Amino acid sequence: MTTLAVENIVAGYEKGLPIVRGVSFAVAAGEIVTLLGPNGAGKSTLAKAVAGLVPEREGDILLDGARVTVPAHALVRAGIAFVPQTENVFARMTIRENLEIGAAVLPRPRRAGRIAALLETFPALATRPTLPAGRLSGGQRQMLAIARALIPEPRVRLLDEPSAGLSPALVSGVFSDIAAIAAKGVAVVLVEQNVAAALGIAHRALVLVEGRVAHDGPAAPLRDGKLLARLFLGHVEGAEAA
Amino acid sequence: MNPQFLADGILTGALLGLGGVGLTLAYSILRFANFVHGDFLTVGAYAALVVAGALSQFLGGSGIGPFSFGWPLIIALPVAMAATGALALLLDWLLFRRLRRRGEEIVLVMASFGASLAVRSLIEFAFTPEPKYYSHDLQIAMPLGFSVRATPDQLAVVVLAGVAGIALHILLTRTAMGRAMRAVAENPALARVAGIDPARVVRATWWLGGGLAALAGVFLGLTVQIRPYMGFDLLLPLFAGVILGGVGSVPGALAGGMIVGVAEALAVPFIGAAWRGGVAFLLLLAVLLVRPQGLFGMER
Ligand SMILES: Nc1ncnc2c1ncn2[C@@H]1O[C@H](COP(=O)(O)OP(=O)(O)O)[C@@H](O)[C@H]1O
Ligand SMILES: [Mg+2]
Repeated sequence: MTTLAVENIVAGYEKGLPIVRGVSFAVAAGEIVTLLGPNGAGKSTLAKAVAGLVPEREGDILLDGARVTVPAHALVRAGIAFVPQTENVFARMTIRENLEIGAAVLPRPRRAGRIAALLETFPALATRPTLPAGRLSGGQRQMLAIARALIPEPRVRLLDEPSAGLSPALVSGVFSDIAAIAAKGVAVVLVEQNVAAALGIAHRALVLVEGRVAHDGPAAPLRDGKLLARLFLGHVEGAEAA
Repeated sequence: MNPQFLADGILTGALLGLGGVGLTLAYSILRFANFVHGDFLTVGAYAALVVAGALSQFLGGSGIGPFSFGWPLIIALPVAMAATGALALLLDWLLFRRLRRRGEEIVLVMASFGASLAVRSLIEFAFTPEPKYYSHDLQIAMPLGFSVRATPDQLAVVVLAGVAGIALHILLTRTAMGRAMRAVAENPALARVAGIDPARVVRATWWLGGGLAALAGVFLGLTVQIRPYMGFDLLLPLFAGVILGGVGSVPGALAGGMIVGVAEALAVPFIGAAWRGGVAFLLLLAVLLVRPQGLFGMER
């Protein structure tokens, strides 16, 4: 059952200069789709476009088959949560305030319970809730960003490089958390540079090259690396020819 | 050092702090230096004058206890705050909202300069340039010790300004709207991702900034006088306090305003009242050279 469908997205930062040039894909409930591709391929732009944050966008986003038309700030309530690649916590606010902002979209009686639940999931955040988020280590920051986005229990999660800047031990922790989230029926789009780790938990992989889908298929065959290398490199040769 | 000058400086500083909060909020959330902000103080002072004048027909014009003001001005205060907030919203709707979409700060700044001129001219036309007063009763300054004297009105203003500062702190740290405002100030894109409606935050910012400016304006009118230029003339020390405290920081604006007010008052006996405005400017330059992000500001 398709939860999120992205149809013919063309997106960029200026008129007439598309970075993402016609991308379609779908994610089912409980499925993890990883979005791979060389640096500058447009992965973050695609994720931001789905989240409604790029100035120029054409194409459709469908949630459970219905076209999403609400502005970016209303997407959380519609069930789509996005964790940006950088600056994904409010650094001048405390851990607790970051979580309270995440909970503000919920009905008042549910807020405290959801914050408590997330602090239980990420105990590292519970030890000093009044610490400004800007003072957290990279790993804790990433956890806070994920926790904030998880509070409203979204059906769709878009994560842009959650492993960036994390130690290998933390990466496996974050990724098993992501797998657990998906197992509860959440549709996950996982943008990653850490190809091995992403393919380890993903069901399907999309390779984005120069703003277009170069490959869309099951994750398993890409794990040996040769096909993926060909897709990345094939693109480079293609670009030189063009 | 004469403690009386210090006391006078604290009074001015409290007003500059209150006035500066709206300026710093506008800068961090709406992202431009709003030159019409000084005139919001003026609008608030005159709005209270009109409302209190009308009310005193029914409630009588005498002061409560030792104060020069009575119920008419007390009731007029929230009305003036709301009216000024509404004016700020109206200006946003007519002017700033459209220009914000184009996203160039300098255009917004120039527009606010124009709006400032227009608002001031209207006030001057409606009320004449003659100074006005909430009350013509003469207040006796009471000795407070350390050879400091202050009128009951002045004491009330300092206390109420402190209360307003604390209420503001609670609003910004303990309420969902306050957190949303700080979130938009820090990272507007992430705030949207987190479900915060930027339009609501912009409206709240104008209400709050306009309301606090009106509060400062009424206090200024109460302790000095009401003139069409009263707020505009404070722009330099207001900006100095805001930049001193760190643009975007509310505690910084309160503290920066206090520092500017006290520094001006303490310098007056040495340099003369005519050069008072220069003190704010020098203080500003000194801080910018040593600590460009301001005393409470974050490094960018
Ligand atoms: N805010 C922005 N404004 C203008 N161009 C941008 C912006 N962010 C990214 N780009 C450009 O878009 C292209 C794709 O970037 P991005 O989507 O971040 O790629 P990826 O995430 O795959 O590394 C790059 O050429 C980059 O320079
Ligand atoms: Mg990226």
